Amino acid sequence: MNNRRLGKTMTYINKLALLTLCSALFAAGPAMAKPGTAAKGKEIYDKRCTWCHGAEGDGKGAARDRLNPPPRDFTSGNYKIRSSDFEDLTPNDDDIFRMIRDGMPGTAMPGWSDILTEQDMWDLVAHVKTFAGYEKPPAKQVDYGTQISSSAESIEKGKKLFEDGDRCVECHGKSGKGSASKRLKGEAGERTWPRNLTKPWTYRGSNDPKDIFSRISTGIAGTEMPSFADPKSKKKLTVEERWHVANYVASLAKNDKKVNADNTVVKADKVEGELPATPDDERWGKTAPTTFYLVPQIIGKERYFTPSNDTITVRALYNDKSVAMLLEWDDRTRSTPGDDSAGKLADAPIEEDGVAVQLPVVIPSEMQKPYFGMGDAAHPVNIWHWKGGTKDAPETASLITSKGFKEIEKRDAKEVGLTAKSGYSDGTWKVLMVRPLATAAKDKDIQFVEGKFIPVAFAAWDGSNNSEKGSKHTMTTWYWLLLKPATGSKPLVTGLVIAALFLGGLLWWARSAGSKAA
Amino acid sequence: MSATPKRMIPRLLQMALVIVGVYFGFILFFDVLLGQLIPKSLLTMYMVFVVAGVVMVFTFTEQGAQELAGPIKALVEDPSKKMMRNVVFVIVPLLAGYYTYSSMLLSFEAPVELRTIHPAPPNKFKAYGKSYNLTTLENPYRKFEKEDPAKFKELVKEGGDVYIRNCQYCHGDKLDGKGPYASGLNPTPLNFQDVGTIAQLQESFLFWRIATGGPGLPAEAAPWISSMPVWQDFLTEDEIWKVILFLYNYTGRQPRSWAHE
Repeated sequence: MNNRRLGKTMTYINKLALLTLCSALFAAGPAMAKPGTAAKGKEIYDKRCTWCHGAEGDGKGAARDRLNPPPRDFTSGNYKIRSSDFEDLTPNDDDIFRMIRDGMPGTAMPGWSDILTEQDMWDLVAHVKTFAGYEKPPAKQVDYGTQISSSAESIEKGKKLFEDGDRCVECHGKSGKGSASKRLKGEAGERTWPRNLTKPWTYRGSNDPKDIFSRISTGIAGTEMPSFADPKSKKKLTVEERWHVANYVASLAKNDKKVNADNTVVKADKVEGELPATPDDERWGKTAPTTFYLVPQIIGKERYFTPSNDTITVRALYNDKSVAMLLEWDDRTRSTPGDDSAGKLADAPIEEDGVAVQLPVVIPSEMQKPYFGMGDAAHPVNIWHWKGGTKDAPETASLITSKGFKEIEKRDAKEVGLTAKSGYSDGTWKVLMVRPLATAAKDKDIQFVEGKFIPVAFAAWDGSNNSEKGSKHTMTTWYWLLLKPATGSKPLVTGLVIAALFLGGLLWWARSAGSKAA
Repeated sequence: MSATPKRMIPRLLQMALVIVGVYFGFILFFDVLLGQLIPKSLLTMYMVFVVAGVVMVFTFTEQGAQELAGPIKALVEDPSKKMMRNVVFVIVPLLAGYYTYSSMLLSFEAPVELRTIHPAPPNKFKAYGKSYNLTTLENPYRKFEKEDPAKFKELVKEGGDVYIRNCQYCHGDKLDGKGPYASGLNPTPLNFQDVGTIAQLQESFLFWRIATGGPGLPAEAAPWISSMPVWQDFLTEDEIWKVILFLYNYTGRQPRSWAHE
């Protein structure tokens, strides 16, 4: 009888176990762990991954010193994106699978799902784990409790926790842009930067609140981002509090700084009266922004591979005398040579921050533009260059006319009326550049014309990052600037006239048909 | 006048359906299936021919023409259709007026730039201070593919190291033209996995494009704004030939050669 009872109990437990297993699989989401074969994974790894991660998995591939961030060293056992408990560095297979499948946004790691099969990627997971000797799955997982969905109230609570005792502000800054107050280091001594939380498309592991919750709970291995689930931490947060912070962080996204690939034209509206005289003039808030990717200068000597600036946002306005462009970009450091606190945050030697606008001297009437790297012999360009100044010298605006890297003529900015004014606040530069529509030197300066598509390109320097200076900078390719002409009433009047003509014609036809019938 | 045969769909509606059908056919074929947006001006031009052709077919016989014009005439002349007529008389002038108005408003969309992907190569070009004849130029390492596979493998590996240190930023880890900086460039970097790129070309063509880069493009290679660096400034001849081996090896494609043609 005892045996029978025991048997019954066993079945009950079995059923329960089966049920739990099923629901666990169900809850695991899209990437469900499948057994991979490490040996097969090695073949794929040797063909696809060694270039960056190295044959030994130590991150010492050929590209290593030209990548920022550097490729992952798998032998360290540190994985940035994981969902295992903060005390257990072992990642889940799903975590590694996800990084392979989706890639790591903002790094050179692409998603591989378009050329590798799902099984290939599971095989890779099995192989990659061997580098750190991970054999068993993690013992404990992140405790998600019950997810608190985002609401004004939750975001408000999250903001308070974010700021309390400098909890997150210490590194990410009050606005979340990661404006630096201290130098951060990675596991191998490399410089790391706190995430700019207002640019969620650069999050390595998505800005879904659940992903943010995981990062806050586990910390980010190999960086100075700590776990806020650790009960020993002074800044510890409960499960509920972490959901509020996650909701707040997700709410920080600034989408006007996201590149829209279809929008390649900076459209300047015409204003009556004076143009804005400062970068903070409220009229800029009503002007449509256009954002472009900044890429490092890798086409000419010295090629540059480790930039920090990634996008630039441009607004423009004009009146009957001048054109004004507001250039805005996130830069975690205000680089002021000679200033001690700026020097501590910078890679030595610190250089001035800067930004430049490039325009053709002659607006092309056909497709051919000047060479995008400072023009060419037949097609000179103007470059307006603003520099942030040093502790002892104020900001400057300079002007050059160039026909390529080597043929540069320095010009007097004041003489042509080119001015620049800047403002830096909590991780963002705003620089306002103004120039008259027309100048005296028509063969050396662009003469602005309404309604024409004018090629325009930009460049930026972060003087605290690898001493960016000269040809070491980020840049855009050619885009367009358009001074939007006021359309006037002509289209409306012509439209009405055409409508009236059609109506008249139809009535006349009906009438003549009617008289014929009668 | 012969009695008009009864039709399931009136001729006028048939004609309208054919024209609309062709229009969406164009869009389906180019924009959706080929993924190449068809420029508006080109589409307008095509549609003018289509409309003219369809009208000609539908009015080819006298009966056909009458059948087509019948409903329109009736609309104006038949007193029982007065209500319908009034509606049409309001809508048609409004449409014409609106079309005029909107086509006179200035367009603020960026000008379309057509791109020549594979410009015709010159017979000769200069790089590394010497002149190359593109019709006879061959990859000096290609022969090892058959003669010494172990050495060939080593050469491909060396080419891969050059690629990852120089080319992946734009052309991508996967050689798919989607490197980390690709989206900041215009025109976008070429996708070597695509059958329309290196598989259509000879190795000498690649050598020419790599060594002389964007600034080395010939006059007809509009719009002259390629961001491709001039690689003879950074790489040796050997490195370029090895990188070319890697490109074909990694994508599993074969270069075209004079021998096969």
